[in-house]
Amino acid sequence: MTTRKPQSQPVWQIVARREITVRATDKSTLIGTAVMLAVIVGVLGFTAWSESREKTYDLAYSSSASQAMIEGIAGRAGDIDEKVSVEPVEVADDDAARQALEEEQVDAYLRETSDGWTLVSLDEADSDLRDVVDQAIQEIVLAGNAQAAGSSADELTAGSQVTFDQIEGDSELSAIRWIVGYALAIVFYFASIMFGMTLANSVVEEKQSRIVEMIAAAVPLRELLAGKIIGNAVIAVGQMLIYVAVGLIGLSLTDFSFALPALSGAIGWFVVFFLIGFVVLSTLWAVAGALASRTEDLQSSSTPITMLLMVMFFGALYLDGTGEVIGSYIPPLSAVLMPMRLVDGTAAWWEPIIAVVLLLAFGVALVRLAERLYSRALLQTGGQLSLKAAWRLEE
Amino acid sequence: MLEVSGLTRRFGDMVAVDDVSFPVPSGGLTGFVGGNGAGKTTTMRMIMGVLAAHAGTVSWQGHQVTREDRRRFGYMPEERGLYPKQPILDQLVYLARLRGMSTADARQEITALLERFGLGARTKDPLEKLSLGNQQRVQIIAALVPAPMALILDEPFSGLDPDAIDAMADLLREHARDGVPVVFSSHQLDLVDRLCDRLVVMARGRVVTQGTGEELRADAALRYRLVLDGDAGWVRDLPGLHVRDVAGPEAEIEVVSPGAEQKLLVEATSRGSVLDFHRVVPRLSEIYREVTA
Repeated sequence: MTTRKPQSQPVWQIVARREITVRATDKSTLIGTAVMLAVIVGVLGFTAWSESREKTYDLAYSSSASQAMIEGIAGRAGDIDEKVSVEPVEVADDDAARQALEEEQVDAYLRETSDGWTLVSLDEADSDLRDVVDQAIQEIVLAGNAQAAGSSADELTAGSQVTFDQIEGDSELSAIRWIVGYALAIVFYFASIMFGMTLANSVVEEKQSRIVEMIAAAVPLRELLAGKIIGNAVIAVGQMLIYVAVGLIGLSLTDFSFALPALSGAIGWFVVFFLIGFVVLSTLWAVAGALASRTEDLQSSSTPITMLLMVMFFGALYLDGTGEVIGSYIPPLSAVLMPMRLVDGTAAWWEPIIAVVLLLAFGVALVRLAERLYSRALLQTGGQLSLKAAWRLEE
Repeated sequence: MLEVSGLTRRFGDMVAVDDVSFPVPSGGLTGFVGGNGAGKTTTMRMIMGVLAAHAGTVSWQGHQVTREDRRRFGYMPEERGLYPKQPILDQLVYLARLRGMSTADARQEITALLERFGLGARTKDPLEKLSLGNQQRVQIIAALVPAPMALILDEPFSGLDPDAIDAMADLLREHARDGVPVVFSSHQLDLVDRLCDRLVVMARGRVVTQGTGEELRADAALRYRLVLDGDAGWVRDLPGLHVRDVAGPEAEIEVVSPGAEQKLLVEATSRGSVLDFHRVVPRLSEIYREVTA
């Protein structure tokens, strides 16, 4: 028998390392990550591409008046929208125009009517084209009418300009805040479900394969639980960081890049809330895994936690006003609502601090509870346990 | 030496293990026998600290056993298994690290054992790719690394093919010879009889008898077998004897008052010729049936 000096590495680190290595070399994890990255890059790439794309529209005419008007529009199109240009195309009459539209040889047909102009298109015309045609015709007609009246367009419209100014932020940023807020709620929801389910599975795997008794004989179950949760969190955060980094780099290439500096503080808080909320919920997922005896039981033993996540998610979607303010302090709802309020810009600087403290206190209490349930349920391999039965078990 | 004294465990109103005490001396194999539900597994789980004891102690080398001691006990639970999808070397190293070994030491020791068990070429295979027999071998290695201070094995022979049973028996003897206290439970009484130096027999949560094979046999009543040339029915009428069985000219008796067997022999020779008269050494399975009856 040889004697060795005891190793210094704590048990939870050994456990966490195994979780990370096993997961990081797992094919389905790698494929899932690659697919998700492809989706993010694809969506952002498409947005950037369609924004920068220049479009030429073919406009049909069948009379000299409309030919002149289309040439006038073509002359002004670049000033109104730099990505739009217009090309006149001659057709014989209305029927020929209709045919050309149906065969998609032209994008639209401009026809003079008794009281103005009509733009005919196969289905709804592109908004870019409509804006250009609408504005150009107004300018041209106004200039013509003014000239006939011995005046000029500038004289006629003098003093009619209205500009909109908002004191807090600007309207485009508000829309982005709204979108980013909901995006964060969705990210939290899906990350919790996805990684939570993986964690619960890896707990039940140890139970189902019966390896857990060998582990229990060697190390305290508290450390096994800690190692599994930390390992899972490292994987989750790592994967999230990759997504967020790719997403932010992509966003900076689009027209929305102006919003980034204004949102960076809120996104920083989101990471803090995400981490704490994620770990708190992870302990519940681990309990769900410990209550099951086989993977098949997991669906039912994890129902309470999926319900809780639904409440959190829909709370984030539907609460506003006072309800949102109150919810942003109540753990674990606060993990989603407070970051959303921060993104919205409706929370004062001290509010997230209080919410984090409350969330942490709740987390510590829950972890203790979960630890008891986990370590008692883990060695019971005869079928699924209820929460109550697990609580009553003796060590 | 590992020593169990007064271990008790209840599940609700049921007393699963009741005041169980026995030693597991170094340098010998201790067999732990008893029917299903006798309390063997519960006792072994308490020895390993997987289950809390309601009373009693487990001591190692004279002191109360600690978690660090237990980390160096080789343990094979009754309900056992490993990670199905992880390569065998990786998961054995992981388990050894949980029990306080460095990665380098663990790799070296495990690779040597895998080679000894003929699995040297399969270290990178996931467990589920191995045959059941080979999976059992991996399970055995898991209990043997790091080199155990004591071995606590719950039904180590169950599910093994005859070759693996022999290999397992050699392994246990080898560890016992090196001074490691070994206790294992089994239903295979003949195997226990052949292997063990000491026996602990449990029934209904209690130890009903324990000791070396000779001690158990010495405790059992003296038994003789008699073969006559005529009917042996008359032995039933003699005092001081308990007749276990009579079939025609053959009889098997147990001595109740010492010396009664001599009177039986005198009586027998006076009635005719005695073809056979010898002491019967009971088999362990017979003793087991008697003490657990």
